[in-house]
Amino acid sequence: MTTRRPLTEPAWARRIVMGIALAFLGAFLVVPLVAVFVEALRRGVGAYLDSLADGAALHAITLTLVTAAIAVPLNLVFGVAAAWALAKFDFTGRSVLIALIDLPLAVSPVISGLVFVLLFGRQGWLGPWLASHDLQVIFAVPGIVVATTFVTVPFVARQLIPLMQAQGTGAEEAAAVLGAGGWQTFRRVTLPNVKWALLSGVILCNARAMGEFGAVSVVSGHIREQTNTMPLHVEILYNEYNFVAAFAVASLLAGLAVLTLAVKTVTEWKSS
Amino acid sequence: MSIEVTAVSKTFGDSVVLRDVSLVVPDGELAAVLGPSGSGKTTLLRIVAGLDQPDPGRGTVRLDGEDVTDTPPGQRRVGLVFQHYALFRHMSVFENVAFGLRVLPRAGRPSASDLRERVTRLLHLVQLDGLAGRYPHQLSGGQRQRVALARALAIEPRVLLLDEPFGALDARVRQELRRWLRRLHDELHVTSILVTHDQDEALEVADRVVVMNAGAIEQVDSPDDVFHRPRTEFVVNFLGAVNRFAGQAQHGRVTFGSIALPHDHALEGHARVFVRPHDFELHAAPNGHPGVTATVLRVHSAGPSVRVELLAVSGETLTVEVSHEVQRALDLRRGRMVVATPRRIQVFAGPPRTDAW
Repeated sequence: MTTRRPLTEPAWARRIVMGIALAFLGAFLVVPLVAVFVEALRRGVGAYLDSLADGAALHAITLTLVTAAIAVPLNLVFGVAAAWALAKFDFTGRSVLIALIDLPLAVSPVISGLVFVLLFGRQGWLGPWLASHDLQVIFAVPGIVVATTFVTVPFVARQLIPLMQAQGTGAEEAAAVLGAGGWQTFRRVTLPNVKWALLSGVILCNARAMGEFGAVSVVSGHIREQTNTMPLHVEILYNEYNFVAAFAVASLLAGLAVLTLAVKTVTEWKSS
Repeated sequence: MSIEVTAVSKTFGDSVVLRDVSLVVPDGELAAVLGPSGSGKTTLLRIVAGLDQPDPGRGTVRLDGEDVTDTPPGQRRVGLVFQHYALFRHMSVFENVAFGLRVLPRAGRPSASDLRERVTRLLHLVQLDGLAGRYPHQLSGGQRQRVALARALAIEPRVLLLDEPFGALDARVRQELRRWLRRLHDELHVTSILVTHDQDEALEVADRVVVMNAGAIEQVDSPDDVFHRPRTEFVVNFLGAVNRFAGQAQHGRVTFGSIALPHDHALEGHARVFVRPHDFELHAAPNGHPGVTATVLRVHSAGPSVRVELLAVSGETLTVEVSHEVQRALDLRRGRMVVATPRRIQVFAGPPRTDAW
């Protein structure tokens, strides 16, 4: 007696398809990830910790954390505001705003960096004004923060918009009729309904903020102990053939990626 | 507390949703606004709640005599029950009901024990004792609807507005809930507007039925009058199945098909005649009363009454409703010839219509 259902492929076909998917994931995702940690620990745990305790490495880690600590909250506020506006209100320019939010994903990060050089650089549009006020943006920390913020604009907003659109405005209207003010409605109704998506967006935003290379590379100037973030520091160390140190710093970023995925999985599971 | 809507118009972009609508619901009454989708009934309700505004300068809303046209919804003290409940899904039943009390200004906010007592009392009122700790997704549709009602009542609203409150429920739960709602209304006497597209619901629950069509009110009357004395063709059509005939009126008589009947309208010329299926009598042979001779096309007898489809010799098809006794007495079956005699007709002026109603 055969019990084949219409959509049941033969076992060999299923195995081949699954085999292709797993082999691809293994070759392109798992092996490189493992390699990072293997290389970082090649000379032992002592050498690994030493390379992380190095002054330049510590400075790069600090700068990365500071950059993320500014860029992520900015995008959190912007993302929530944009998603709220797009999901709950109909206004002219709505579709333009949606398209603009995706712009940083569509543009190569190097181009984004170049745009900021064009704006804030010495020969840039705002260059003379900045120079006369003794403000340095390009080849300094402000430039890194601006470039990082730009590149990470989409993450929070994109997590929230579809969810908030799907949820509609019913709960908000119910709250308004029951006498809640705008802030009360936001804090007690809107925010709790999107909290997991928000957390997921913040985590992705943070991962990108810490890992961004292209745009930061253009505006930073690669000044060691001044404008080097972790990804830039990895590149410098690698170019100096200091593989253990390069992979040690890289392992921190890889660890962040793994942690990000873990937390994101949990938030998605919670929100569903 | 009365609800008074005066000369309200509302447009969204190019489409006119309400045209010059006026409505008074006296204190303590339950009015049902009945109409097809797109007739503007929900918009009217939202304007009373304050979620939508009349077009600028085009109409006022008064609650208990007070002009609230420009008052934000939160300050109108209206209870609104949404079609899809709009419960706060991240809050327990208790917190949903307590919401309106928790967001009160500090001075008016009840104490923790007072709040607990009020919520418990409301949950008892809507027969949800013991479910305070549940979350909306753990409740059935009927239970959610009652949570929504308790939440709306928690703020001691001046008026209660219900937007298709039973629309998403299955037929049996609907019937139970609407009877329960009627009893609750008799207990609380809060002035209420119920929006529905279900004529049975409107006729059964309401003190007063407001029939709406295409953004305007067609008729406001008691359920009896709306059903038995419809003022417009739309009302006749909307309140159930009806047979339509094109006819002529002359000298106090209306003629349609082979039938001529006296009527009391001051109407001459083209007439449209409506006869409800249960307003026909069937006979085996002409009995002296004016009637339509017809052949039985189909008999549906699975139900409290028997629905018979007839093909008149003049070519029209008719639907007639008779009792099972009549079906047996006449031995109604496909092909049998009968005479259908109208007991009651409704007549409106106008040439024959060809469009679908």
